[in-house]
Amino acid sequence: MTAPRPYALLAEVTYRCPLHCPYCSNPVALPVAALLGEAPRRPQGGGYSNGELTTDEWKRVIREAAALGVLQIGFSGGEPLARRDLTELVHAAREANLYTNLITSGIGLDDDRVRDLRDAGLDSVQLSFQSDQPDLSDEIAGAHAHRRKLDVASKIRAAEISLSLNFVIHRRNIDRLPQMIELAESLGAERVELANVQFYGWAFLNRAALLPTREQVTRARAIAIAAKARPPRSMEIFYVLPDYYESRPKPCLNGWGQRYLTVNPIGDVLPCPTASSAIPDLHFENVRARNLDWIWRESESFTRFRGTDWMPEPCRSCPQREIDFGGCRCQAALLTGNATNTDPVCEFSPNRAIVDAILRDINSNDAARDWTYRVNPKELAVSS
Amino acid sequence: MRFIMLMAANPISDATQPRIAKGVRLQLDPATGKTVLLFPEGIVELNETAQEILSRCDGRTLSEIVRDLAEEYDADVAALAADVRETLADLNERKLIELT
Repeated sequence: MTAPRPYALLAEVTYRCPLHCPYCSNPVALPVAALLGEAPRRPQGGGYSNGELTTDEWKRVIREAAALGVLQIGFSGGEPLARRDLTELVHAAREANLYTNLITSGIGLDDDRVRDLRDAGLDSVQLSFQSDQPDLSDEIAGAHAHRRKLDVASKIRAAEISLSLNFVIHRRNIDRLPQMIELAESLGAERVELANVQFYGWAFLNRAALLPTREQVTRARAIAIAAKARPPRSMEIFYVLPDYYESRPKPCLNGWGQRYLTVNPIGDVLPCPTASSAIPDLHFENVRARNLDWIWRESESFTRFRGTDWMPEPCRSCPQREIDFGGCRCQAALLTGNATNTDPVCEFSPNRAIVDAILRDINSNDAARDWTYRVNPKELAVSS
Repeated sequence: MRFIMLMAANPISDATQPRIAKGVRLQLDPATGKTVLLFPEGIVELNETAQEILSRCDGRTLSEIVRDLAEEYDADVAALAADVRETLADLNERKLIELT
C-alpha cells in the first residue's frame, strides 16, 4: 500500500534519566552504544561519545520530518532535559513550523531554562507525576523528585506555557485517582492524562507488581467517567484504559506506519517507541544511513504491518480490522512470540487465554509484589 | 448506556471576545493547504467556516466577527450569527478557544 503522510514525530533524544520508574517504556536492554558513555561530550566523527545523535543530526531529522508532512514533535526520552542542546532543538522545530511538546520529569528545569524554552517557542509541557503524595511518588520514581516537580509546575505556569500533568496509573497509585486529578487542578494544568500502564519495556518486566486488580480498575473507571462529566470543566481529563481488562484491543498507533514515527537516541527510526525491544526480528533503519522519507515510505520495518494485507485470521475477515488494526504488534510479539498474531487482548484471538491467565494470577493473589527499578544508562556504564 | 448532557447555560454573548486557547496553534498544513489547529497530541483540520471564524479570533467581539463575515460573504446576519455561535460553542467545549 502507498504510504500516508505522518503527523507526529516522537524524538527520544536521550535514554539518560534521573528517575528510575519501574514502568518505563524504554528498552530494558538498551542499545550498546547508549550504554557506553556518560553525558555526551564533543562530537567524535559521526556522533557523540555515547552514540546519541548530535545537534546537527537532530536538526536534519526535524527538517526531514517536516518535509514528510509531520506537524507535531514530542521531545521525550529518557529525560530530554539531559540534553544541553534541547532549546536549540526546540528552536529548530519551531523554525520548521512544528508544534513542540516537551515530555519531561521536570528535573533540570530551572528558571533560566524555562524562559529559554519559552523564547525558543515551546508550545506545551507534559510534566510527569508519579502520584499526588510526595512519599509514594518518590518511592515509585526511585528518586527525590516530587517536591521539585511541584516547583517546576509553578515555573511553567509563570512562563504561561500550556501545562499537562501525566500520570502513569498502576496498582500502587490507581486508588488515588481523585487526589491526582485534584493535584492537576490545583497546579492549574490545562490537561491531565491518567494513563493506565502499558506493558512494554520495564513495565513488561514488572507487570506482576504493576497490574491493578479488577476491583481497582472498575472503581477507577467510574471515578474517571464522573470526573470527565463534572461541570464546570476547567481542565481536560484523558483516561487511558488498562487494555488487559478490555475485550477488544486498542487501535495501536492508529495503524502501523500510518501517523507516527519515533527516532530513538542513536538514530534508529521506529514505527513505535517500544518496537525495538518487543520485535527483535525487525530490522530498523538509522537516520545516519538513510533519509527519513525513504525509511517512512519504503523500509521493511515501516511496511511490514502497514495496511491490512499482513493480517492473519481472525483479523483478516474481521469488520473491525480498519478500526483497531488488529491491536498492538508489540503486544502480540511480547505475549505470543509472533508480532503478526492478533493482539491477544482481543476476545477473538486464539491466544486470549494468555491474558486471562495473567489476570487470574493477579486477581487470585493481590499481595504487593516487588518491582525492579529502571537502571539508567550512566549507572550501567559505571558498574560494568 | 451513556448519557451526554448538552448544557445550554451561558450562551455566548455579542460582546464575548473568543481567543485561541493557550497551547493551541492555528496554522496552515502545507501538505493539504488546509488550516489546522494543533494542540498537545492532537490535530483538528478545520472546515472553511471554522477557519474563517478562527482567523478573526484576535480580540474582536462576536458581533464584530459576525459583521465582518457578513460583509465579506454578503450573508444574512442572523443566520450567520447562529452558525458562528454554534462553531464557537463546539470549539469551546473542546477547550480549543477561550471566551473572555
